[in-house]
Amino acid sequence: MNRMILAGGAVTALALWSIAALSALPLADWPGLPWRTSDMTVQQILLAYGLMPRGVLALLAGAALGLAGALMQAVLRNPLADPTTLGTASGAQLAIVAATIFAPGWLVAGNLPIALAGAGAATALVMALGARRGFAPVTVTIAGMLVGLMASAVATAMTLAQGHYLLSLVMWNGGALAQVDWSGCRHMALVLVPALLLAAGLARPLMVMSLGPEGAHGLGLRLAPLRFATLLLAVALSAMVSAEIGLVGFVGLAAPAIARSLGARTLLQRLMLAPLAGALVLSLADGLLLALAAAGGPSLPTGTLTGLIGGPLLIWLLPRMKAQVPQRAEAGDRRSHRAPRPAWLLAGLAAACLVLAVLTLFGGRGPEGWGFIAPELRETFLPLRATAILAAASAGALLAGAGAILQRLTANPMAAPEVLGVTGGASLGYAVTIMAVDGAGPLALALGTSAGGALALAGLAGFAMRADLAPARLLLAGLAIGALASAVLGAIMASDDRRAWVILGWLAGSASQVSPLGAAALAGLALVLLAMLIGAARWLEILPLGAEVGRALGLPLARVRLGLILLAGLATGAATMLVGPVSFVGLMAPHLARAMGLARAVPFCAGSWLLGAVLMLLAAFGARTASYPYDLPLGLFATLIGTPWLFILLMKRTAA
Amino acid sequence: MVTLPGKALTRRALLAAACAVAGGARPIFAAGGMRLAAVDWAMAETAMALGHPPAALAELIGFRDAAVMQPSPDTIDLGLRGAPNLEALSLVAPDLILSSSYYSAIQPRLERIAPVFTRALYVADEPAFPKVMALLGELADRLGDPAAGARLQAAARSEFAMLAGRAAPFARRDCLLFELGDSRHLRVFGTDSLFSGALEAIGLRNAWAGRTRFAFAAPIPLERLADYPEARLIVVGHIPPQAERGLGSAALWNSLPPVRAGRVHRLPELRPFAGIPSALRFGHELVAALEGRG
Repeated sequence: MNRMILAGGAVTALALWSIAALSALPLADWPGLPWRTSDMTVQQILLAYGLMPRGVLALLAGAALGLAGALMQAVLRNPLADPTTLGTASGAQLAIVAATIFAPGWLVAGNLPIALAGAGAATALVMALGARRGFAPVTVTIAGMLVGLMASAVATAMTLAQGHYLLSLVMWNGGALAQVDWSGCRHMALVLVPALLLAAGLARPLMVMSLGPEGAHGLGLRLAPLRFATLLLAVALSAMVSAEIGLVGFVGLAAPAIARSLGARTLLQRLMLAPLAGALVLSLADGLLLALAAAGGPSLPTGTLTGLIGGPLLIWLLPRMKAQVPQRAEAGDRRSHRAPRPAWLLAGLAAACLVLAVLTLFGGRGPEGWGFIAPELRETFLPLRATAILAAASAGALLAGAGAILQRLTANPMAAPEVLGVTGGASLGYAVTIMAVDGAGPLALALGTSAGGALALAGLAGFAMRADLAPARLLLAGLAIGALASAVLGAIMASDDRRAWVILGWLAGSASQVSPLGAAALAGLALVLLAMLIGAARWLEILPLGAEVGRALGLPLARVRLGLILLAGLATGAATMLVGPVSFVGLMAPHLARAMGLARAVPFCAGSWLLGAVLMLLAAFGARTASYPYDLPLGLFATLIGTPWLFILLMKRTAA
Repeated sequence: MVTLPGKALTRRALLAAACAVAGGARPIFAAGGMRLAAVDWAMAETAMALGHPPAALAELIGFRDAAVMQPSPDTIDLGLRGAPNLEALSLVAPDLILSSSYYSAIQPRLERIAPVFTRALYVADEPAFPKVMALLGELADRLGDPAAGARLQAAARSEFAMLAGRAAPFARRDCLLFELGDSRHLRVFGTDSLFSGALEAIGLRNAWAGRTRFAFAAPIPLERLADYPEARLIVVGHIPPQAERGLGSAALWNSLPPVRAGRVHRLPELRPFAGIPSALRFGHELVAALEGRG
């Protein structure tokens, strides 16, 4: 049965490739070996040096990603680990983007050294954090996603700041597999073959390690060098793929999951089956695109498609998987202190919010430097700034409120609109509205975006609720939706349409682009959300205690959950319209609130709401002033401000 | 549209106040003309050609590289073209803002600061060259200097005619115009592009019959060049160093008939979405490159 699935996948991949190859050149005209370019027709060269290496490279790169994912998952004992979720791929991306812009000469010798440095640095950062938390899977994944998000946000900002002229950056971000000779395959094979051998050798010690640290020590195994070597191997594989073809997400996450569901029981089996699964996944994706292009369809970069395939695949796989995240390891999260006087803390936060708003309203940066605006200019400047500030603070409050609801709803410290794919769904809603409604106005966009967010969340809930929202499942499903959303966004942007530029402009949007009416609407929504949070305090208090307690206390569980999910979806949708899909405020603000000791429902929600506003105020000020007169993307700045903060927070809590 | 005197006064006062605050910023007034702020680069280039350089320009840093005419050193930067800094724009206190259909999303916000002059210059499948040529006249009219527009149009036409004379010996072969992204991808300038119009104005033909093919994330794979064995390959702009290296050893590139026959010409960095000055510059560079080959 399992062999049949693999064989079926291989046959389909080959068939797809053959459609493209045969439509380019009938079999009778294929060049015979040995190839001599001087004797070949252009069509033969296209086949022998274009399509053939492309097919082989898809296999090799997919295998490399599959192996990297399997190694990472084995060493971290974390079914969520892969080059995408650990930030490895984004680290490589950032390094290459930065080198392309600031030191193109460094890339003359090839992308690999730069990609390796970036991937290594990002992974090392995540591991440094993970080590302090005993490599607890959820913590490591949070850290990895934060690093990845920050890296790709910086890389995106750099790309946007360069305009659309740097084609190589754009291509690289897309993950394109087109080949013009066999050098890519040679490089990849040179890394992959020794890596497979090393992985086979590592299988036994890794299996011993999986017995737990005590057992491993008893058998005389030294854990640190083993972990380091395994991770280094995985990082090298991921960097190689990044260097050759760019960002190809999700294959490293999907391949080991497929290997497991196909019945790979021992670690060695998994390490060997995952590359096979990865090779098939990437080949299928690339074959599909090739066949599509051969049939006259658009030619898309393969990286945009792996998300499309990987996301639904994972959602299909999830019910077949046991919840694998060991809960014991996360116990440290629950030991949080409680603030003695939450009301004072909240008042302080509200005051900070107001002071910050007034300061950023009057202060700023002009052509001649920093200062407060002159009285004569107030009439012109204050309305502009007040609109932007109001919009930014409201968006922050909305996202943070949604995050607070989701964390209460799932009793999962990682739940957030960004993590659960709600912002992804909202962005999809935005994109679909832009593409479907010609000249969509702000109201249509707001509705579309909110509907997208709520739909994503409802789909996620409907699927995960059956298992009472096991954290690992929810997280994986959310990642899948997020990847799907970014894949669709990528495909739309690749679709050579003027409307794609509108989406790009939105991704880079700044608070100053909001109309006064839009800002007022956002503020109104934020206030409504706060009122509803306080109104729903009892539910939010009971929900984290679990479904049984809720039912015992007579809560209409299904309706309460649905209502809260819709509320969170709408709030996220409205905020996403302003800040774009990436911000992490919805994750950071509730975390900060809890770290401040705001534990009970009302202080926690109100505190998150206020903290979200404060974070976004800071972000808006930074985005406006950091590179005056160039407005930076608001979402990017929110990510840049919040991530290091959250890092420190995660690090500190170990000590406690 | 004539600006109301009262409004203009407020803006002047505002500007003076800004300068007083800033301490030492020098206002620039176009001699006798309107004070212009340009969001769109094609508009900026056209205004400069007409002798009315904008006092402020979006993405000034980027504009300065590969600019046909350099803006004066005291030109003010307005930030990103897609999201210009409205505060900086208000401080400039322009009489007219030059924009284009690319920036229609922000037009209402621009209109709150000053009247906006906008045209849809670059629209897929619509040849840009005639529109950019017409813009010389339209903008000159709007600036109250119609003679300059007619004069410049005539001068551009005669310059293209002169170039056409020099390019005549090369007219047998069509040209394929593209930018290289890396050693595997390119962006093709179709018949709707400015360069294609300039190519036709000097009596040559574009081998690529379709529209400009370039999407944000999916440029054309290099192998598509194999469909044009007879064309001249014109590489516009700077080639990234790793692409240069990759191309040297790429079997596919080296086997393309135009590459084998040495029919590849390189042009310096040029601006594809610009005005007539860039089109003329393209014409000069192209003819020089063709003649360089003999």
